[in-house]
Amino acid sequence: MMNRRQLLGTGVAGATLVSTKAWSQTDNRSLPEAALTDAAGTQPPVVPTSGPDYNPVVTLNGWTLPHRMKDGVKEFHLVAEPVERELTEGTTAYLWGYNGTSIGPTIEAVEGDRVRIFVTNRLPEHTTVHWHGLILPSGMDGVQGLSHPGIPPGKTFAYEFDLIKSGTFMYHPHADEMVQMAMGMMGMFVVHPKDPAFRRVDRDFLIMLNAFDIDPGTYIPRIMEMTDFNLWTWNSRIFPGIDPLVVNKGDDVRVRVGNLTMTNHPIHMHGYDFKVSCTDGGWVNPDVAWSEVSIDIPVGAMRAFDFKAEHEGDWAIHCHKSHHTMNAMGHDVPTFIGADKTNVTQKIRRVQPEYMPMGTAGMADMGEMEMPIPKNTAPMMSGWGKYGPIEMGGMFSVVKVRPGVASDDYADPGWYENPPGTQAAEWTGEVPEPMQVADATTRYTDPPVSRG
Amino acid sequence: MRVLKMTVIAFPLALGACATTLPPGITAPDAGFSLVADKTRAATGRKSVWLQTSAQSQQVAKEIHALTHRKTITADTAVQVALLNNRGLQASYAAVGLSAADIWQESTPENPIVSVGLLGIGAPELGLFRALESLARVNLLDAPTRKRRVAVAQADFQRAQMQAVVDTLTLAAETRTAWIDAVAAFETVTFLNQASQAADASSELAQQLGQTGALNRAGQAREQVFDAELAAQTAEARLAASVAKEQLTRLMGLWGTEVDYFVPDALPQLPGGLRGTGAIEAQALQNRVDLEVARLSLAATAQAYGLTDATRVLTDLEVIAGAELERELGEDGDVETKILPQAELEFQIPIYDSGKARMRKAELSYLQAANSLAEIAVAVRSEARVAETRYRGTYAIAKQYRDVVLPLRRIIDDESLLANNGMITSTFELLIDVREGLGSKLDAAEAKHQFWLAAAGLDAAIYGGGGGAGGGDAGGVELAAGGGAGH
Repeated sequence: MMNRRQLLGTGVAGATLVSTKAWSQTDNRSLPEAALTDAAGTQPPVVPTSGPDYNPVVTLNGWTLPHRMKDGVKEFHLVAEPVERELTEGTTAYLWGYNGTSIGPTIEAVEGDRVRIFVTNRLPEHTTVHWHGLILPSGMDGVQGLSHPGIPPGKTFAYEFDLIKSGTFMYHPHADEMVQMAMGMMGMFVVHPKDPAFRRVDRDFLIMLNAFDIDPGTYIPRIMEMTDFNLWTWNSRIFPGIDPLVVNKGDDVRVRVGNLTMTNHPIHMHGYDFKVSCTDGGWVNPDVAWSEVSIDIPVGAMRAFDFKAEHEGDWAIHCHKSHHTMNAMGHDVPTFIGADKTNVTQKIRRVQPEYMPMGTAGMADMGEMEMPIPKNTAPMMSGWGKYGPIEMGGMFSVVKVRPGVASDDYADPGWYENPPGTQAAEWTGEVPEPMQVADATTRYTDPPVSRG
Repeated sequence: MRVLKMTVIAFPLALGACATTLPPGITAPDAGFSLVADKTRAATGRKSVWLQTSAQSQQVAKEIHALTHRKTITADTAVQVALLNNRGLQASYAAVGLSAADIWQESTPENPIVSVGLLGIGAPELGLFRALESLARVNLLDAPTRKRRVAVAQADFQRAQMQAVVDTLTLAAETRTAWIDAVAAFETVTFLNQASQAADASSELAQQLGQTGALNRAGQAREQVFDAELAAQTAEARLAASVAKEQLTRLMGLWGTEVDYFVPDALPQLPGGLRGTGAIEAQALQNRVDLEVARLSLAATAQAYGLTDATRVLTDLEVIAGAELERELGEDGDVETKILPQAELEFQIPIYDSGKARMRKAELSYLQAANSLAEIAVAVRSEARVAETRYRGTYAIAKQYRDVVLPLRRIIDDESLLANNGMITSTFELLIDVREGLGSKLDAAEAKHQFWLAAAGLDAAIYGGGGGAGGGDAGGVELAAGGGAGH
């Protein structure tokens, strides 16, 4: 469960009081209502009821910000405020976000739309919103001090510009940016093509890559961290808290990924090769797109890749930096593999009776053992599949391709039943002698023996 | 109430042939040293014994053996053994007999009582022991001192008896202190042994990681050198404990098969509350036996110079708040005491004046002794205040460790284990937290040690014999920092 707003201290409480005034101003000015949510699950796409038609996206573990049309302008209302975000079951972070969530709700519009985005600041310090990747007037670019003054606490600013190109974009503060992004302030902005049939797909998923450094047992991110993050998140969620990408067999599927962490992420999807369909700059001509099974998402960049969901099954999708598929863990823990802890354990138990030896055969025991760990801390690797512990955390999910999934159905269909004969199993027959070498000498495969 | 074992030893009272003209006691082998059996029986306090016959010695030796041989002894037992068995004390008692012999022909003093209760440590009947001790001393001090016929000899006799009491109290206090020190030393060894186990585990783990290739030689050596240093530290603590126990053994006068006694591994827990120490200065002025010895010396001086025969022209010299001297002439030659605001702090020093010029030198000598007594009284007051302050202060410190520091350490230990479970920290870090926790336990044990010394010192400040007690700065053991491999 995700909660809405959370008071984080007197400063924030003060901001809340100020924001009450902001709300009344909002009413007086007849601003569009600022929608809120308190759910952390994936919400179904929002089909447009006004303005030009488009094929809506689905934000994984997220939602779409409603809009209203006023005098031909599409109006949105973002509220920057402190939020609580459940990263996964049993682990909650105190963050800053928009409209009750981090990441903030996805803004969807159509190429050619004019948008007016009201931004109300309920933070204890000023903020701005930068519309990452969009072409717009300089004064709307949201760089504190450069484009315009910061939005003071309690005030509402309006951004207004035309959307002159389609694609995947992001929004985030450009005021005290290091702090505000470390606290989780970011969201995605999708501009659909004017022609709803252009590069149309059946399912269109959004994933924002973000990262936090939240010490085990604490709730608020360490904003000064630069490299040693311990929670690698998609849309401010960690596996097993990340929903699956549910797909109907035969669907054309698009996955749009934005990266607002401080490192790149090679996103790898099992079972398929896919083609990059859109980059920051625009759509990729299908004739020159090449196939990949992993795509590196650079820092501050967006990529979209498409595939046809032909292969049924449960297919992992994850960042291929293996630490990024782990939750909180110590990076200074020595390698205990091969160490005999028998005697050591007896000695330690004399001074710390509940000590459990771990890591001497690798770390898999972490996935299996359910040892008590500090409060508000997700186990390093957790999540169970049909056949046991998945031994993953962080940036990990599953693409679930099934036949007969309704077009508006994104509910988890459960684990895939592998057809008989299509699953690896214990071999009970005779095992051939394995070939082995004992040194590092270069060897050439023996040429086939001539039989003539 | 705990029932203590009664150890009443009956002394044959052999009266000499010429004893018919003297009351019993002076001519008895234990002259000046009779025991009040009924009172001690009521209180079940233990007694000191003046050993004069082989039968007595054998009986006492048997009793000592029963108390000590392969036994874990309490502070009470240690004091009892010391009072029964310390040969220096027997020498002191002999002096009482010698002075008794001096007045054999002249005096029939009332038999004073020398009986020493135990101050006890962590014993619920603590108050009773103190009451007994106070009673015994009052009896002693109330013995008449002004029988002209034997004035000088009797003053010497009284002084010898008082000195015997001082010696007895001193031995009791020293023994109790030695017991507290010895137990504290073994408690330190216990915690260092635990810390050594933690360090030993770190060292072995480092060695294992060296074998698997996960820790370089420097990292291994860092863990191992800490283990080695701690082993040395533990050996030092064991040595200190042995020496401390030997001091106790010496005070108890033990040798041979009796030295195989044990002391507990840990001092008693802090008591739930402090005992009342109201008007401790007044208590000390009333009760300090060393002060009484000085006063009797003054009386002896007066008698030696014949001052008691002279007309008293000055009233008491009053020592108030340790500094103020006030003389007041009595209207009819009687002692007239001015009541002062702090009446409970009053301590009177009689000043006599012969009124004759030829006694001038004697008067000055007397005045000199009187001022020395006043100085001692000032010191007694100060010691009483210090003892009380130390008693309360050390209790507050030990309580802080018990109620605040150690519970916080427990939280750290618990969370450290959880973090280790989650592979957030390494085994080495877990062990460092364990060692730091043991360091706090060492500090807490040392604070408790200081408190029990102060508690013993409180009694010594009130009753005397506080040469050894009082809580010095023994200083705790500080654990060396760990290696912390994996950082």
